[in-house]
Amino acid sequence: MTAAVIAAGLGKQYRDYWALRDCSLEIPEGRVAALVGPNGAGKTTLLHMLTGLLRPTAGQVSLLGRTPGDDSGLLPHIGFVAQDVPVYRSFTVAEHLEFGRRMNKRWDGDLARARVERAGIDLGQRAGSLSGGQRAQVALALALAKRPDLLLLDEPLASLDPLARREFLQALMEGVVEGGHTVVLSSHLIADLERVCDHLIVLSASRTQVAGDIEDLLGSHRILTGPRREVGRVAGVAAIVQETHTDRQTTLFVRTNGPIHDPAWSVQEVGLEELVLAYLGQPNATALPRPRLANTGTEVSR
Amino acid sequence: MIWLTWRQHRMQVLVGAAVLAAIASFLLLTGFGIASSFRTTGLAGCLATPGRDCTLVSALFNKRFSGLQFTIPLFLVLPALIGVFWGAPLVAREVEQGTHRLAWTQGVTRLRWINTKVAAMGAATLAGAAALAWLTSWWSLPFVRASDDRFSRGVFDLRGVVPVGYALFALAVGVAVGTLVRRTVPAMAATLGSYAVVRGVVEFWIRPHFAGPRTVSYGFFGSNPRSGLGDWVLSTRTVDGAGHVLARGQVLDINLLSHRCPSIVLKGEFPFNQTAVQACIRRIGLHLEATYQPGNRYWTFQGIEAAVFVALSVGLLALSVWWVRRRVA
Amino acid sequence: MIQFRLDARSGVSTYLQIVHQVRHAVRLGMLRPGDQLPTVKEVVGSLAINPNTVLKAYRELEHDGLVEGRPGVGTFVRESVGGPPPSNHAALRRGLDRWLHAAFAAGLDVEDVRALFETSMQDLREEGVA
Repeated sequence: MTAAVIAAGLGKQYRDYWALRDCSLEIPEGRVAALVGPNGAGKTTLLHMLTGLLRPTAGQVSLLGRTPGDDSGLLPHIGFVAQDVPVYRSFTVAEHLEFGRRMNKRWDGDLARARVERAGIDLGQRAGSLSGGQRAQVALALALAKRPDLLLLDEPLASLDPLARREFLQALMEGVVEGGHTVVLSSHLIADLERVCDHLIVLSASRTQVAGDIEDLLGSHRILTGPRREVGRVAGVAAIVQETHTDRQTTLFVRTNGPIHDPAWSVQEVGLEELVLAYLGQPNATALPRPRLANTGTEVSR
Repeated sequence: MIWLTWRQHRMQVLVGAAVLAAIASFLLLTGFGIASSFRTTGLAGCLATPGRDCTLVSALFNKRFSGLQFTIPLFLVLPALIGVFWGAPLVAREVEQGTHRLAWTQGVTRLRWINTKVAAMGAATLAGAAALAWLTSWWSLPFVRASDDRFSRGVFDLRGVVPVGYALFALAVGVAVGTLVRRTVPAMAATLGSYAVVRGVVEFWIRPHFAGPRTVSYGFFGSNPRSGLGDWVLSTRTVDGAGHVLARGQVLDINLLSHRCPSIVLKGEFPFNQTAVQACIRRIGLHLEATYQPGNRYWTFQGIEAAVFVALSVGLLALSVWWVRRRVA
Repeated sequence: MIQFRLDARSGVSTYLQIVHQVRHAVRLGMLRPGDQLPTVKEVVGSLAINPNTVLKAYRELEHDGLVEGRPGVGTFVRESVGGPPPSNHAALRRGLDRWLHAAFAAGLDVEDVRALFETSMQDLREEGVA
């Protein structure tokens, strides 16, 4: 499977702090990838470097085989919706579609119009008077109509009410079926991400903490509960991510490397939100795949 | 990109065109009247006849149109408005509202984005400024001929080619400041301030030295032998025969004279002994010296000043393009 | 045309829920042989889930012989639907009732039974039986 996005040691330094540091990841083509992490972790910085809005100060990144930048020729292959969904407030929705047509060589005007109409938005309305959900639908229509290979969405669900969120994700998924795009979607709302994403990247303290297909990650993590005890080696456990004790009970959140048959432990599967929270709570734990990049120097996952 | 530029800036251009049309109408409506007055008062004929003293007719003519004085500060401010309303928001508004993240991720590079906008607004500025400069020069011609003054500060700024240079410079300052500051209202204020400072520095400290000034001396009670040649008189001094400067301007200091010439006795009341005063003046060689730029250098100075501002504009615009490409996100 | 529902809190993975709902619909006659299943785009547009999930469910159903995919057209219920003949169901039901009686008699409650069932299912799935 070819990679749509490869980053190696990517970093962005400002005068006195690093917004993103030593970020390495690989997003295979055709995935819908979730980019998760606390505020200030570097999600927006990463997305801006992928779109060419920001230049890295360290490391390398390649998108569809090319380096992003002003003259990279990548712009027609990327659809981007920035945080807080910027629109031209005095332009009508129809003028936004015209804007898309004029600014892009490859443009599917019918698709854009169909998406906007399906969302029930009046073409003649000024963008400044649209609701948050409607603005997000317009921005998504603009991005999809470019027929890009890669869709990058920076917290598109933030500040949307639950219905608007559902409608946005419906529209996004239909777009993925129609266009076969690779998607990178950053959000705090893990429940929504679990429905639509099949790949997960967790950024924490400006570094990559977790990266991999969600199915593999959920398949390789378990929660073990048992009577309170000192924990030694357990067959099938590759690493203990989080260990909690009450006076009667010990709970382990573990990464496995084989089936666990130890009868002393009760084994349960984990959900995506539990996985993300466990790792965010343990900044030193990582779950990273073996890198296929020759020159990263990243160590092999333990 | 042309479509986007027009759609985003059409209000600015239309308002600018309306203002230009209003000013042009005013100039045209009043200009013909002024030109005709120039003839009917006899001033035109007087000035055309060599050797005649036209001061009285001039005074009459100027008094008739004294109400038009407001036009000078108005025309001085106009180029600055280009900087404030066209230049400053060009980059600043886009970044402030976050729409640059939309505009710069379509299919058009940032270079093309800024080049198209700057070229379009620059062309509009050039056209408008050129038209207005030409019209203002025509309109003010009778006043200039009546006062034999097109070179002095203020008048120089409104006519010829320099207004075009100022307008382009204002636009460039606005764009550059807007690219740095990235918020519209502070950028507008900073543009106005920077424009005023640079214009002031060039006008008061640099323009007098575009070419080496010359000096002419003449008698204390005489008149400048070079009058009528359209000189820009930079300063006049009262000087004694040895070259010591006694005062700025044409100043007769009786106290000074009485120190230098014992024959003048201070009695404390007018009139003094005229003969004694005149004899003293002759004895100490009191005369006037004027430093000036000759009138025939007018177009040279226009050219130099316009070139200075155009060069500054090009530099600032190039810097803005570089900044947008490399640093703004 | 059936419509799928997703129970996000059931603990059952999404693709399995789709598989179950298709089987259930066929069993109850809501989907008859020859009927078309909703397209991936339709499912995804109403449930807001990843298209690969739907594809995985449809692939499993095809693997089990319940449906067949016709490229460019859609996914259709097979003419002849396989499955164990009804007589086995009755015997299996009786065996299950006997086991449940024994479990309750041994002191297990409903939650214990459920947990036991899930654990066994999990083990069997990992062994490739289920």
